[in-house]
Amino acid sequence: MDFLTPALDGFGVVFEPQNLLYCLIGVTLGMLVGVLPGLGPAATIAILLPVTYTLEPASAIILLAGIFYGAQYGGTVTSVLLRLPGEASTVVTAIDGYEMARTGRAGSALGIAAIGSFIGGTVGIVGLTVAAPLVAGWALAFGPPEYAALALLGILMISTLSTGSLRRSLLAGSIGLLLATVGRDPLLGSARYTFGSDQLADGLDFVILAMGLFGIGEILHSLERLRQGAPPEPRVGRARPSRAEFLQSRWAIARGTVVGFLLGILPGGGATMSSMVAYTVEKRSSRTPERFGKGAIEGVAGPEAANNTAATSSFIPLLTLGIPANATMAVMFGALLLAGVTPGPQMIDEHPEVFWGVIDSMYIGNLFLIILSMPLIGLFVRVLRVRASVLAPLTVLITMIGVYTIRSSMFDMLAVVVLGVVGYLMKKVGLPPGPLVLAFVLGNLLETDFRRSMRMFDGDVTGFLGRPVSATLLAFVVVFAVAVPLLSLRKKLRQPAPPDTTTTLERTPDHPRTAAEPGGPSEERQHPG
Amino acid sequence: MRTQARLGALVPLGIGALAALAAVSMGLGSPADPGPGLWPLIVSLTMVTLSASLLLNPGADTEQEPFSRQTAVVALGALSLVAYTLLIERVGFEVMTVLLLVLWMRGFGRDSWRLSLAVAVAACAASYLLFIVALGVSLPHLVAF
Repeated sequence: MDFLTPALDGFGVVFEPQNLLYCLIGVTLGMLVGVLPGLGPAATIAILLPVTYTLEPASAIILLAGIFYGAQYGGTVTSVLLRLPGEASTVVTAIDGYEMARTGRAGSALGIAAIGSFIGGTVGIVGLTVAAPLVAGWALAFGPPEYAALALLGILMISTLSTGSLRRSLLAGSIGLLLATVGRDPLLGSARYTFGSDQLADGLDFVILAMGLFGIGEILHSLERLRQGAPPEPRVGRARPSRAEFLQSRWAIARGTVVGFLLGILPGGGATMSSMVAYTVEKRSSRTPERFGKGAIEGVAGPEAANNTAATSSFIPLLTLGIPANATMAVMFGALLLAGVTPGPQMIDEHPEVFWGVIDSMYIGNLFLIILSMPLIGLFVRVLRVRASVLAPLTVLITMIGVYTIRSSMFDMLAVVVLGVVGYLMKKVGLPPGPLVLAFVLGNLLETDFRRSMRMFDGDVTGFLGRPVSATLLAFVVVFAVAVPLLSLRKKLRQPAPPDTTTTLERTPDHPRTAAEPGGPSEERQHPG
Repeated sequence: MRTQARLGALVPLGIGALAALAAVSMGLGSPADPGPGLWPLIVSLTMVTLSASLLLNPGADTEQEPFSRQTAVVALGALSLVAYTLLIERVGFEVMTVLLLVLWMRGFGRDSWRLSLAVAVAACAASYLLFIVALGVSLPHLVAF
């Protein structure tokens, strides 16, 4: 247990007054953006990247991480009170949470969500503390073929497991890979796709890409709905569940924690998918499934525990392998690079203060959240009444000035606007920006390691199969390239089939429908108005 | 909706095809010693394949959102950001910020003049204090201390 000493030293970093403050600011901001529908944690973190330039690396990441897990708390509030999920990861909470609120149990729903989130989050951090050094130690032996296979698996999994269409996600991912090749060849130095521009010679800047696609893209998208009025103010009551309600939901919390931890580690998993799977698990394991959708407290407790645990455990692949598991982690990857820290197995030794500081800050952040979330619920509900027409211009202002602060460059500002338009159009035509950003982050790693591997293997692609770890990872690639499309095809066939898929009907083998099928409860998902 | 699905496939198809051609001219090298163009070629061919497949069979049209009259507001919004960028170094950030916020709030959001001006001036002052005074960012500004 010799990893415990540096792990405890990390608390020294967290308890520095300014870091406690950044942690508090982070979780409060996170709860706030969680409450606001539209602006997600990925966009917020992207927008705030320039602000963190001036901070110490550990402080910057503590702040940004707080936004991420804080948002999971905040999203719950609007799901329960207004059936208006602030975050995608709290969509399923709206199903039973809102029903509970309608029957005067809003306080119980919010209370159990907060307790479930706290338990899930804390167990997730303990898991992170124990697992991260082990994974990092194991990954030190990885060579180029292993990293190439891992990056490929990551891109493929985020595309197959995200909620949208598989081919569109993969297309978005390949656009990201292409954008990553702009600039100098990483091994030979010759210019690629720079069109003779000096600005493009160093490649596209990740911060600009993330701020454009996520930040400006989201804001432009919200301009379409600017004139809608604010929702009515709901009543909350006592934000505390009774003892009986806690006893009723304790196993739901336990199951949600396990589901969230496992799915959070998987690339492409993360908070949204784990909350949906946790809801399915609860409904299926319940002796009275008919209560679900009518205000079952387990339907709130399970998914809420799951999304917080997943938010925590998705830090494992980022901090130990340097592979971000979802779009928000991709932005976090960019933040670490900005701070001069390369995420990967060497990080735990080279930057222990950042590594352990961030992990330990989550214990404190979770405490802040459970203490703050109950009294602040009333305030957050009032924040919702701030109109989108005020919020959108303020966010856009912060983004534009933020971009300028990076290099005082007008080219950067124009690039952000152009990428924002691209992000908006991608939403319109159904291409998800998430896989693009993730693939962009992994693109350089994937290309460099692929080419190094090809040199190692003397041009023989089968060399990847000769190494146990890369062969195993590639076996997973095959599983996800074949099995998941088949499963999603089967899901499609369960719904009324559109006429042009009838030809594929006869060829589909019969798969047992597992409880962990992604997007299981989608037919009963309730979208915000 | 169909048009949008097509557009979302046609544009990447075109870009992918052009990128593939450019990749070949960069030099592909050999499998044992890949040149600068080999990886971009693999990626752009993947793009071409996926977009061609989407073009031929767009699948269920659930993810596209139709363009509406509000789309014009988005276009204006993007243009206003371009104008903000081009003029900020000439006019200074105070004027441009107030103009931008008033346009977005009064013009796009149909808020009252009073609220729009109040928020615009307050936000301008707040960002001045945050970015120029507190963080020491070299934003082009008119008012100096």
